[in-house]
Amino acid sequence: MKKYLSSLVAGFGAGVLQVVPFLRSFSCCMIVPIAAFVSLLLNQRATNEKEKITTKRALMFGITTGLYAALFGTFFEIFITFITKHNDIIATFPELQRMVDGFPVTPEIKKEVLNLFQNVRNEILSTGFSVLYTFSVLVNNFIINTIFGAVGGLVGAQIINNRLNNRTN
Amino acid sequence: MSVPFRILLFAVLALWCAGIFIEWFVGIHENFLFALPFLQKSYSLVCHQEHSKLIFFEHGVTLTCARCTGIYSGMLFISFLALFGIVKKRPEIKFLFIAAAPMAADVILYSLNVYRYSKTAAFITGLLLGSAGFLYLYAGLKNLIAELKK
Repeated sequence: MKKYLSSLVAGFGAGVLQVVPFLRSFSCCMIVPIAAFVSLLLNQRATNEKEKITTKRALMFGITTGLYAALFGTFFEIFITFITKHNDIIATFPELQRMVDGFPVTPEIKKEVLNLFQNVRNEILSTGFSVLYTFSVLVNNFIINTIFGAVGGLVGAQIINNRLNNRTN
Repeated sequence: MSVPFRILLFAVLALWCAGIFIEWFVGIHENFLFALPFLQKSYSLVCHQEHSKLIFFEHGVTLTCARCTGIYSGMLFISFLALFGIVKKRPEIKFLFIAAAPMAADVILYSLNVYRYSKTAAFITGLLLGSAGFLYLYAGLKNLIAELKK
């Protein structure tokens, strides 16, 4: 646990940035990779290591950061939805209806898709919780954040190792 | 990196990029419509999806903004070149920062209202960073495979 404390800190930051309504507008594909890079830097500062980071270790830090970001992101998103009984599914539902109407598909498919999301919307409006929504947030957050964290770890290690190389030369 | 790994990397990136254009695929097969809201949620994790910054095409819009679409397209393009062994060695790290500079400049300049947001500029600057970024990801994966083989 202590070994990956820097991942916890960076992952928490990324998780918050992905969820909090105002901060979310700054969300971009760089958040989790940058968080993974930050976790490597923080760990290096904390341990005062001067040696090169192995790619395997950087990957672990990246994955852990992604997992923490997913954990906090999922928790905050589900918690905020539960408290407010409102989320992006509800906010964008009228837009989704318009969009689905515009697609060149059969009315049956349109109806099925809209029914599916109408059910999720109704569940959230009445109880603040939907199994399907929770499952989709959980799967999305864990897969995507882990991959992006791993990418950040792999690229971040090269930047840090290059800096160490320059210092020793 | 061995050919199967290169193919796998390209396939993953191609799948990711195809997801961005899911609305186009709905025109090909209507069942893709079921995946659309789910994918919108997935891509919302990695992009703000501001409507005015999305790329419009026949039957829909991209699920990521012009800049993010550029980044992923750049990665896909270089991963395609890597399939043929064109990508040999990783350039100096400063090249990554040089490639990121136009994107940073574009974000700062349009945020300061020096000029209006341009999807073309966002896409091209993203493409540049994505292309350069892939080289470091590729090198990282190569290092990882080498470490794991030891």
